[in-house]
Amino acid sequence: MSWYDKLLQVDRRWIFLAIGVAVVVPFFVPLGLPVIVTEPVQGLYDAVESIPPNDKPLLLSIDYAPATLPELEPMALAILRHAFRNDVNVIVMTLHPAGYGLAERAVRGVAEEMEQVEGEDYVFMGFTPGVSAPILGLGVAIRNVFPEDAYGTPLDEIPMMEGIRNYDDIPLAITLAGWSAAEAWIYFAREPYGQQVGAGVTAVMATDYYPYLDAGQLQGLLGGMRGAAEYEVLIEREAKGVKGMDSQSVIHLLIIVLIVLGNVAYFAQRSARRKMALEDA
Amino acid sequence: MSHHIIWTTIGAILTLSIYSFLYKDNPFYKFAEHLVVGISAGYYLVIYTFNFIVPNVARPVFGLELGGEAIRFAGLEWWMALIPGLLGLLLYARFFPKFAWVGRWPLGIYVGGYAGLGLSPVMQARVLQQMEANALPLTSLTNILLVVGLLGTLIYFFFSMRHKGVLGVFARIGIVFLMVGFGASFGYTVMSRISLLIGRVDFLLSDWLHLAGG
Amino acid sequence: MDRFPRILLIVLTLALPALPLFAQVPPPDIEIAAVDSVAPAPVTGLRAHDYVDNSDAGDKIELTWELSADDAAGASDVVRYEVFRSEIEDAPGDSVGFALAGFERFLDTTAEAGTPYYYTVLVSDGTLLSSPTTTGPVRGVSNFFQPSRTSVLVLALVFFVLVLIFTRLAERGADLFVRRIPGLNAIEEAVGRATEMGRPVLYVPGIGEIDNIMTIASLNILSHVAKITARYETPLIVPTARAVVMSAAEEVVKQAHAEVGQPDTYNPDNIRYLSDAQFAFAGAVNGIMLREKPAANLYLGAFWAESLLLAETGFEAGAIQVAGTAMVSQLPFFVTACDYTLLGEELYAASAYLSKEPKLLGGLKGSDWMKILIIALMALGIVLNRLNASWFVEFFHTQ
Repeated sequence: MSWYDKLLQVDRRWIFLAIGVAVVVPFFVPLGLPVIVTEPVQGLYDAVESIPPNDKPLLLSIDYAPATLPELEPMALAILRHAFRNDVNVIVMTLHPAGYGLAERAVRGVAEEMEQVEGEDYVFMGFTPGVSAPILGLGVAIRNVFPEDAYGTPLDEIPMMEGIRNYDDIPLAITLAGWSAAEAWIYFAREPYGQQVGAGVTAVMATDYYPYLDAGQLQGLLGGMRGAAEYEVLIEREAKGVKGMDSQSVIHLLIIVLIVLGNVAYFAQRSARRKMALEDA
Repeated sequence: MSHHIIWTTIGAILTLSIYSFLYKDNPFYKFAEHLVVGISAGYYLVIYTFNFIVPNVARPVFGLELGGEAIRFAGLEWWMALIPGLLGLLLYARFFPKFAWVGRWPLGIYVGGYAGLGLSPVMQARVLQQMEANALPLTSLTNILLVVGLLGTLIYFFFSMRHKGVLGVFARIGIVFLMVGFGASFGYTVMSRISLLIGRVDFLLSDWLHLAGG
Repeated sequence: MDRFPRILLIVLTLALPALPLFAQVPPPDIEIAAVDSVAPAPVTGLRAHDYVDNSDAGDKIELTWELSADDAAGASDVVRYEVFRSEIEDAPGDSVGFALAGFERFLDTTAEAGTPYYYTVLVSDGTLLSSPTTTGPVRGVSNFFQPSRTSVLVLALVFFVLVLIFTRLAERGADLFVRRIPGLNAIEEAVGRATEMGRPVLYVPGIGEIDNIMTIASLNILSHVAKITARYETPLIVPTARAVVMSAAEEVVKQAHAEVGQPDTYNPDNIRYLSDAQFAFAGAVNGIMLREKPAANLYLGAFWAESLLLAETGFEAGAIQVAGTAMVSQLPFFVTACDYTLLGEELYAASAYLSKEPKLLGGLKGSDWMKILIIALMALGIVLNRLNASWFVEFFHTQ
């Protein structure tokens, strides 16, 4: 068997093992590779930064599920830290049934870390079913969609919700979603109401959202764990996003090497087969 | 042993069971797969019942709280909860062959309602705003590439004529741009999958084994 | 050369470089006014009108005025414009907000629809206030029509008319040409191969809801596939991730069996609801592929991250695979791992091509000619921009 046949038939479990090693090693031997901030992430950071402190709240819709946690939770934590650092109040909600526990965990964890008071600095609305209906409903009246917070306290009894009626009182809504909820915020909040929207999505979906970013329909876009890492660099609080970037870079290099080797072997095999066919003829 | 350690260990065992599929299919993988199917069905049932059925149908229509109360009849809100609730129940008519046709009514309302709701926003967001943003001056290479790629792609998806002559040329340009786009998207997706793997490894090494800083 | 490409070529060659649409006006600098004993000059030309916006409940009144003579000119000591509102003429009223120096506009978002208001604007230099300028009465009105959305209405109407025309033509038997999509042959070839091997066909209609247009297109193609499998008595397994989709798929497959005269061969156990959870569904479908070993896998509909999991497992299992989705992010995986892929709108075209249903054909032809219209409008926009006629592009501005 020639070298190119061996290469093309290598047991894929060796590749899995190589990738496994490439993921694990940087956890023990950090490389400290730099994370360069890109324009879409800077756009979202600037949008959050421009919200005046102790005034109108940021709306953060944590619409992800456990399956996309590694990419989207670092974004949620970074945005919450940014908002709380700037004394910006935050309304947290979720449109995903499995997102209830994750959203609660994120906001309570960061609030405790940064000594924020529930009801004064943040409010957790919980889960509401549907996608288009609640997003449209928030534009009419928040109290129509969430008459009370996740723990049963009527919104009128929550100090930070005084005077906050609908999108007119929300300078920015950010959705973090690994499914079509991110698009729904553009269709049903941005277009009908002119609500400023930012999005954090999985890297898979990021390419779908660049047209909206270019057209000005999104204030900013975070794509995958890389987007979370860039945001952490901007808020100067490195966490799981940045931590994963070393492994990410090493694996990408490995995959590039494998792709090159695979292509070289493929074309060598094809060329050899053509030669054999000509000789036989 | 604290609850946190127990649940973290269970999570780690299930993670490793799923990953064992990379070697070959085995009973641990099968068990974990069936477990996640079952738990997700049960979890979603509970979430939808208590966040959807109870507040939107059961509570307004029957005035029932968790402890149970007498049935109350009230005004417009009562009818607005009852009618959609009944329509939802009609979907179950498919279990009775003689009355299965009844289930098409709520299905039609559901499909039609959502189609209508989305018509204007989607037309705005996906067509008009994009048209406005892409009617660009052809003063830079980026703009020219964008406009040419956009035209080529639109023409590729034109089904009313065969792709011959000039149309064929533009369609071929379109498919080239499409494939370049797919390649970029594939790259992004590889990044996404690797991120999920990194997340799981972080969980195993930091949260479970405490071997790497968390 | 055909007429259409000739016209297109002429339009495209006329698209010339354009000047920038708008010049950027920097916001006025806000300066701290020096303390003096002279009140600033009042505003002039104060007007108030009902503000029509995206969700008009009649609760917004817009005020516009001409800047105070002392704003960035004259004594140059204006800090801001204080706005007061009253329901009684000549009464002082309550403060509703302010606009900073240099701004000629204020939006009151707390008005009650139908209530007449009188607005007073006072110019402040930080210590002294100008003489008042008042206007009114003005009422907020809940408007029926949003003028900035006229372009949406026009385009939607044009689209509806095109679809109606082509649907009528199709219903009357007109020969509406739709070019053949190569992936369609592949579907029939895949089903044929499964029949020869005596193994089932696996048809995954995606994980989208029933209101997802891709799911609807997939169900149309499922009908066609179900008729073929029913005719050859090949088992057809349809796993679904949504209960309503399962309900619809059952209807479709049952109907298909009835139409080819094989109602007894319909097996409801082959139409399965597996799980709403994305990866649980993928895991369960992978299990079906490994245990029941279908010879042909058809993935047609809305897919998300589970697409590569499904296609990769099917590839490993050695099945012939045909995919079709309009989810752009998933197309690369299907292109890589499947034998044939219907790209984007080809899924909808396949649905229309196979069924020859007048409504589907009408929709396809209508959207085709909408594409031509969009291309023409964009080219016209580029040309008109070059001639500084930005009104054309502004017509499409909806915010």
